[in-house]
Amino acid sequence: MNCGFTEKISSLIDGELWPAEAREVERHLLTCVRCAEARADFLSLRSQISSFEASLPGVVQKRALAKILAGGRGERKTSGAGVSWGWNWGYAAAALASIAFIGLIIGLMSFSQRPDQVAFNAPPSVPSPTVEPSPETKSSPEAEPPKADKNEKEDTPKPKATPARRPPVREPKPGEQFASIPEPAIPETIRSADAQTMTALHFEKAENLLRAFRNVRLDDTDAAAEVRYERKRAQQLIYQNMMLRREADAAGDVQIASLLDSLEPILLDIANLPDRPDEATVRVIRERVERKNIVALLQINSTALARALD
Amino acid sequence: MASQDDEFTMLFQDFYPSLCRFLECLLGGRAPLAQDLAQESFLQLHRTAWGTLPPGEARFWLYRVARNLAINEFRKTNTRYRLFDRVVEAMRPAARNPEQEYETRERKQLVLEMLQTLPEDQRAALLLREQEQLSYREIGEVLNISESKVKVDIFRARAALRERWSKKVKVAGASVS
Repeated sequence: MNCGFTEKISSLIDGELWPAEAREVERHLLTCVRCAEARADFLSLRSQISSFEASLPGVVQKRALAKILAGGRGERKTSGAGVSWGWNWGYAAAALASIAFIGLIIGLMSFSQRPDQVAFNAPPSVPSPTVEPSPETKSSPEAEPPKADKNEKEDTPKPKATPARRPPVREPKPGEQFASIPEPAIPETIRSADAQTMTALHFEKAENLLRAFRNVRLDDTDAAAEVRYERKRAQQLIYQNMMLRREADAAGDVQIASLLDSLEPILLDIANLPDRPDEATVRVIRERVERKNIVALLQINSTALARALD
Repeated sequence: MASQDDEFTMLFQDFYPSLCRFLECLLGGRAPLAQDLAQESFLQLHRTAWGTLPPGEARFWLYRVARNLAINEFRKTNTRYRLFDRVVEAMRPAARNPEQEYETRERKQLVLEMLQTLPEDQRAALLLREQEQLSYREIGEVLNISESKVKVDIFRARAALRERWSKKVKVAGASVS
């Protein structure tokens, strides 16, 4: 199945071969059907894996940031995956509290009453509900500040030799509980029609740019002028791309934000091209455009946004 | 000049979604756990290393910590987590129309299943390459392995997935005909 070049094809599509080696593999690809198939399959796998979208609601991201900046109290409780960790501590705390409370009652009674009365008055098994909470209250992630992770040292790569500088942490306001920041504190913004229009137009422009860039022929006499023109267009689009990405991030629009995020490095690459770029550089950018399937995604999203605005 | 918190916020907004995606793929789904671990990684960065790392290092640091946290999770017995994640997933409201939602979910599931067949080190290297577009040198730095091992791991992962993928396609083709 493999002809000895297959491993190099993997490195080729990652742009990890020296130029001479890359040329050799490309020449080989022209004559070897198996390797050409392998390259097509690797690129197809890449597109499957890179187009994987994380299941990340915008509100989770905002909440996570707020908690981290607030000093991380109540971390690992946002989405519930850490609940069973919280339950363990909750149960332990509740059990300890119950024992302490029962002990306290017994102690008080034995102090103030005769032993025979203690035996008579002590409740057999019903402590106050405020002390022994129900499982629901026990599991409340905010009830217990997280203990230092035993594995923290293993998980954390060694910081550099410079002394650890603690970043400024916001002080809690009176009565504020960081672990349970109420929803209104981080309002869900809704993307305005203006922002959507701008994004749709931006996608259209970017799509045109990438299509034109794909068709630039470097062996043409006016290739330098074409590259200059596309570079200028890319430079104009970068700033807007960054603004729109931040805006989409803030609005929790993960899909648009991630598309803009994928577009940004490509725009940067085109914007930084020299007047006469070598073929390998252009090819790398084109391959990246192709493997991210970005032209199609831009088209789909600009149409969808335009339709939503109608 | 932006304050440290502003810089941190920018870093967070740039990399939290991709870190979640990386972890979700590494963990074979389990999105809520992936979000928690991503949050934990950022929290550790904020607490211990923020301001001490050289510029540009924070991203690699985060992936390194996140991967270590994920490995710790693999070691745990985690049936309860899985069950809880499924419940959370089932309760989550669908954002798109049911057909699209179904297709997306199916595709995601397939990608996750395929990735789970790989050894963890190959999976991590491949994800860092395909999703985060890190170079072999950068991947080596994150995973603490040599560049040549990164190259071999990525190639092996691709070759294995390619083989499984074509088998799946053949099976699907046979069942259609």
